[in-house]
Amino acid sequence: MQMRKVFNWQLGRNASYVYPQVRPKKQWAMVFDLNKCIACQTCSLACKTTWTSGKGQEYMFWNNVETKPYGGYPVGWDMGILAKLGVQEWQGEKYTGKTLYEASEKDEKILQHIPVDEDWSHPNIGEDEIAGSVNKGDWLTLPHRIWMYYLPRTCAHCTYPACVAACPRKAIYKRPEDGIVLIDQSRCRGYRECVRACPYKKPMFNVETRISEKCIGCYPKMEQGQMSQCVTNCIGRIRLHGYLSTPDKANKDNPIDYLVHVRKLALPLYPQFGTEPNIYFIPPIHAPLSYMEQMFGPGVGNAVKMYKNIPNDQALKGLLVLFGSMEKTLSSFKVDEKLAYGYDDKGNEIVKVPVTEPMYVREFFDQKLKVYRQNTP
Amino acid sequence: MRKKIFLVLVIVLAFVQGAYGKDKAFVEITSFHKDVDISKVGISDEVWKGVAAYKQPLQRQFLVEPKPKEVGVKEVQVQSVNDGKYIAFRLTWKDDTKDDLVRIANFSDAAAIQFPVASEPLPEYFMGEPKKPVHILYWRAWRSKDQTDGVQTVNTAYPNMTIDMYTFDYKVSGVGTEKTQVQKDMFIPGRAAANPLSVAHKEIVEEASAEGPSTLKTKPVENTSADAQWQNGTWTLVMRRPMTVTDKESVQFKAGEKKPVAFSIWEGHRLESGGRKAVSPAWAEVLVK
Repeated sequence: MQMRKVFNWQLGRNASYVYPQVRPKKQWAMVFDLNKCIACQTCSLACKTTWTSGKGQEYMFWNNVETKPYGGYPVGWDMGILAKLGVQEWQGEKYTGKTLYEASEKDEKILQHIPVDEDWSHPNIGEDEIAGSVNKGDWLTLPHRIWMYYLPRTCAHCTYPACVAACPRKAIYKRPEDGIVLIDQSRCRGYRECVRACPYKKPMFNVETRISEKCIGCYPKMEQGQMSQCVTNCIGRIRLHGYLSTPDKANKDNPIDYLVHVRKLALPLYPQFGTEPNIYFIPPIHAPLSYMEQMFGPGVGNAVKMYKNIPNDQALKGLLVLFGSMEKTLSSFKVDEKLAYGYDDKGNEIVKVPVTEPMYVREFFDQKLKVYRQNTP
Repeated sequence: MRKKIFLVLVIVLAFVQGAYGKDKAFVEITSFHKDVDISKVGISDEVWKGVAAYKQPLQRQFLVEPKPKEVGVKEVQVQSVNDGKYIAFRLTWKDDTKDDLVRIANFSDAAAIQFPVASEPLPEYFMGEPKKPVHILYWRAWRSKDQTDGVQTVNTAYPNMTIDMYTFDYKVSGVGTEKTQVQKDMFIPGRAAANPLSVAHKEIVEEASAEGPSTLKTKPVENTSADAQWQNGTWTLVMRRPMTVTDKESVQFKAGEKKPVAFSIWEGHRLESGGRKAVSPAWAEVLVK
């Protein structure tokens, strides 16, 4: 297949894509702090009850949370494609290996891993499974010898989406206004080229309608200036949703730009696939770097170091408390000595949160009621 | 320019195969006139006995990515009869696996017959070209099973599946039970969008038009009826339609005339769908007697 050259900033180089480079006016993006995710699946259910409660969507989780290293929905989605791609290399910040487009076989557009029916039947297989067995005499160190972490994920609304590239009917499109990738439900014919091609396996087939569906990025909420259901319902407050600039136009006041471009604390999921995914992860501090480098690229070491230093980093500390503190999308933020502030695109203050929650200590003896206070419920 | 190169390639390939191959790529099919009611002709009716079967070689679709490396069905036998009012085609091809069950990762066996809407000038044989549409009669095994065993749903696909409830489908009254089907279908996106694949049909053959690859569009007519049967590793499919219809964008047949025709077969077991298919390597021709 004759490919075009497009610039992929996540790889630090030009890379192949089926279509010429066209970037949206702004790009939908989501940041996840993996250190805080407890796999409560509130996001999965918030999404499910909002978007996939219909007949034929029973198995669909446009948002899911899986346990790494062994969990995955569909089963083995990432191991399957990584095994096909084989060992690839980074040289510093530059990816010198092949992307999935560059590794595509003759007469194909992209290298593919195709899940079988059963792979879709176990949305939470491997949950809470750890990476090895705990031996007698083991003790806790960082990073842990025995580890696992939760990986919540949605469609990455990629800059160079595999589903868009693969669809033979151009039934999938990336919206120029916000970069959200959608399947046209009246145009799709259920060929499932998108299901085959998407390395993240987020387009899914509806047996009731016999066509494919995918995460819609909660566009009706985004259009109203609100963050998506999986973000606003997150009880662990691990997510932030907004718009990401390209690195050359990075704005340090934009919270997403700040985390992704300025501080490089939040890293893309499997950037080596070459789709320039727009879900970004603050890596867990307790998992082995080699595993996480495979998943998030070469910036993991620095990101972990930075995260550990957050108690001394007022801006990051403030920004992290803004996670989950509002329903509206932030255009900009500010942190001072005591408070973190979030603003909309007109500069109006949306939210103000104390960077450190004030602590009140109550007297053990209540003078008014003449009783001792107990903390036991 | 690319299209022209393709066209030249097609012609050269057709010629080479015609000249040196065992089977002729350019197949001349005769639709025999019979004094029976062709509008009701079945798969194993007497009328097919003694009707010449034309061997149509098939090859992988090789013009548009993704192109299959190999295809499952390499040949289809074509027969045709007509009674002056109706015309029928019987296609027979070998397929060891019957793929008619709708599941998430299943692909349907399928077949299509394609005609140019107008023979002059003749559109490209591969799904037509802009302003030169083709008329496609597309059969899917999924729809055959729908017809014989009732429309397949998620419950037939996964009989052991359980779910608490669907929206507006609660067992207690007053919390959505009064909603209309249209309102309930809002939760079934393909149906809400009236996607032709997601809604009920009278016939198991979908009629479509195309003006080039990736432009296939379902037509709002259903003039073709069909029966299909899989037995001992062979699919037999009979399609019947009136020789003339009121729709101007549909194929019309007239006794004594030749009509270009092309065929596609999909082997669901090999995950063939869309452009991953076996195609006849050029226009064939059907002479209507």
